[in-house]
Amino acid sequence: MVKEKYIKRFKEISVNIVQTEIQSVRRKDITKTGLRIYENGYIGVAGAVGKIDETELEKRAVENLNLKIPYPYEPSSNHIEEVDYSKEIFSDEAFVNEVEELLNILKVEFKDFIFSNHISIRETETKLINNIGLNLTHRDKMMETQLIIKEKSSVNVFDSMALSIDRQYNRESLLNNIRESLIAYRNKVKLPVEGKQPVVFMAVDMLPLRKILEELDGYKVGTGASLFKDFIGKKKFNEGFTLYQSSQKEDLTESEFFDAEGVINKDYKYTLIEKGKILAPYTDKKTASQFNLPLTGSASAEYDKVPSLSARNFKVASSNKTLKELLNGQLGVAVFVASGGDFTAEGVFGTPVQLAFLTDGEKLIGRLPELTISGELYSMFGDDFIGRSEDKAFLGENAVAFNLNVNYI
Amino acid sequence: MFNFPKNLYTDVRLENVFTSEITYENGELRQNLKRNLKGGFIRIFDGQRWYYSSTTDVDNIQEEINKLALMAKENENIMDDPVVKNFQVNKGEFLHFNENDILKISQEEKLDLLKSYFPIIENKKEIKIWRAIYVDRKTTKEFYSSKGADLKFDYQTCALAFRYSLNIEGKTLNNGYDKTFTDFNELKSLHKGLKKNLVRDIEFTKSAKPITPGKYTVILSPVATGVFTHESFGHKSEADFMIGDETMMKEWAIGKKVGADNLSIVDRGDVFGSGFVPFDDEGTKSNKTYLIKDGILTGRLHSCVTAESLEENPTGNARAINFEFEPIVRMTTTYIEAGDKTKEELISGVKEGILVEEISHGSGMSTFTIAPSISYMIRDGKVAEPVNISVISGNVMETLYEIDGISKEIELLSFSLGGCGKLEQYPLPVGMGGPYIRVNNITVQ
Repeated sequence: MVKEKYIKRFKEISVNIVQTEIQSVRRKDITKTGLRIYENGYIGVAGAVGKIDETELEKRAVENLNLKIPYPYEPSSNHIEEVDYSKEIFSDEAFVNEVEELLNILKVEFKDFIFSNHISIRETETKLINNIGLNLTHRDKMMETQLIIKEKSSVNVFDSMALSIDRQYNRESLLNNIRESLIAYRNKVKLPVEGKQPVVFMAVDMLPLRKILEELDGYKVGTGASLFKDFIGKKKFNEGFTLYQSSQKEDLTESEFFDAEGVINKDYKYTLIEKGKILAPYTDKKTASQFNLPLTGSASAEYDKVPSLSARNFKVASSNKTLKELLNGQLGVAVFVASGGDFTAEGVFGTPVQLAFLTDGEKLIGRLPELTISGELYSMFGDDFIGRSEDKAFLGENAVAFNLNVNYI
Repeated sequence: MFNFPKNLYTDVRLENVFTSEITYENGELRQNLKRNLKGGFIRIFDGQRWYYSSTTDVDNIQEEINKLALMAKENENIMDDPVVKNFQVNKGEFLHFNENDILKISQEEKLDLLKSYFPIIENKKEIKIWRAIYVDRKTTKEFYSSKGADLKFDYQTCALAFRYSLNIEGKTLNNGYDKTFTDFNELKSLHKGLKKNLVRDIEFTKSAKPITPGKYTVILSPVATGVFTHESFGHKSEADFMIGDETMMKEWAIGKKVGADNLSIVDRGDVFGSGFVPFDDEGTKSNKTYLIKDGILTGRLHSCVTAESLEENPTGNARAINFEFEPIVRMTTTYIEAGDKTKEELISGVKEGILVEEISHGSGMSTFTIAPSISYMIRDGKVAEPVNISVISGNVMETLYEIDGISKEIELLSFSLGGCGKLEQYPLPVGMGGPYIRVNNITVQ
């Protein structure tokens, strides 16, 4: 019998902001513990929050084992690794004071805007430990800024945002991004042309990748439900398009270097699409075993659930060019808020864009009216794929650019 | 029950949540979860700032109150604070689900119920992946405040959900069939509905063609109407977006004409289902709130803080997704009231348009969006061929005037997978639905 503990601790201090003033301060310290029992090809899981009685938890996990949930795969073993990316950012008191000072600056510089929502410091620790030599620990600490911004004269619920998540805090860097976006916001501009043109997304925005991630699901590929079922090993996309799962330090914000089954990829990455060729779908142990696919370490689980396949930590490889070089003298439509769009079953993409800026690849020039953009899966990542920038030229973030159809809404 | 600190307002919300979840994937058991969570959320207000703490250490709430109080500044006049004056002092036990308590149903009975649906969905060559999910949730809340509130109330839902991926000669569709009720027995007779959906979806996948983009008259089904109402207007009725904002107050002045004459939108917390909220998370009793009545802006959704700020009354809409979060202004069950036409009459009045039957998701800011999963062309007043659409969209305030027909039939729906998201708080169970509505000039892509 293999016994495994999956422990997630979450500590947070969060300052809530209303009308550019601090409204509240919230503290959290929550530990959730899952206990898994593996025996005779089955898994039993039980969980608890807060203080736990391990004997009771084990008893419940054994009871759950009797429900016969199949898990005929070897639990991960014989690996001890601890990664600690957490660094002190602020004490609680200093943090609240800093947010207050930041808001005071914003109130003076941007009298025509209202800032709301929250800034928080989030500390996480995840452990996966079993009695066959697995002992993994991941610690991290992030400062998360999620400000929504409203122009005072606007009738919208909000007009723009300031988002960042980082292991360190730099007030000037945050302010400079807000300055760049709001100065551009005030400058209304028009599209250079209607129709096909460069469209730039933040690399952290998964909207353009949504269909690829849906169809690269190993279970969908294995069962034949995926559009890519016959395309593994085939070149279907642009030579410049490479996609991998990454658990490298710079790419991790809210997950661990190991997956929920304790799988760790070599160099913390696994390439799924290389130079346009689909190498493998993403898999967990069940999917890899059932369909004889490579194991890519893509299992997720709540603390008290059986691990299951999920899309995690995807990254488009850099083109080694700056955004300006990628745009090659053209202006780009930088998509900042695009809510509600999707791909159809066959891969036609369409979305309204509620907030877009015109960019020259180095800075935002001005705010565009509301737009619609559209494309098609194989074209977007084929001839119309421009690339991922090596520089963080889109408000402190890397960018991914495509040629897409753009029109006024 | 607690020693509340002097010269501060304090409230404590304790939650005891039982969940069970069973998932089969292509006939194989994948999850069989029974979970019990206990947690507490404490709020302290000193007249200037709020201080919150979320804890799973429910045996030491008093200690947590004492620690949190150290962050606040004593205020002798706190009980005269207008926000504090807004807090209701409700007392008593309001347990609605003792008789049909979901906790009395064994896990085996839930498993057997779920398995009774398998013959409908397994061994169909068009279905490559299917998932059958049973999920229930029973929550009992206690609420205590330094003003004297002392409440205990409960709510529960149970649901069956089926998800399937079709691939028919390269044409694919991801769709599903979900039903959520408050009584387990209601889950026992859904076999015909699931079968009908599957037949429809297989035919749809074989025949659907891409839409020609453009502006169309669109008829929205109750689920699509519900998402449209929730996303396009419901969120804009949440008063926390208006606090201290003169432009918004002017734009959203009560009494202003905002939609077609036949349009009435209501939010109410007393409808059994996923939006059932007998008391909100600051102890305010549920209300029926008209947001729009006959096209006129009539009300908005409030917490005690927003009600004080806008000099209106609390509406029982301060809700948190769970004990880890503070209550913020949220919807309960929000819907457009019934009209005077039949569905057929709505369709017969359309020369060329679209009928949206099922959707994947929706969103709403100044522009609302809906991503349909099952849609059909309407030609010469009749439902015609199936079409694939990535997204329909329109300007919210213009679209409310573009509603020119509302059906007599109305369907209020509950959901157990997913829910409403607002800022960091997702998913919150809400109810939605409504009638079929006919809307002109919708952008279709």
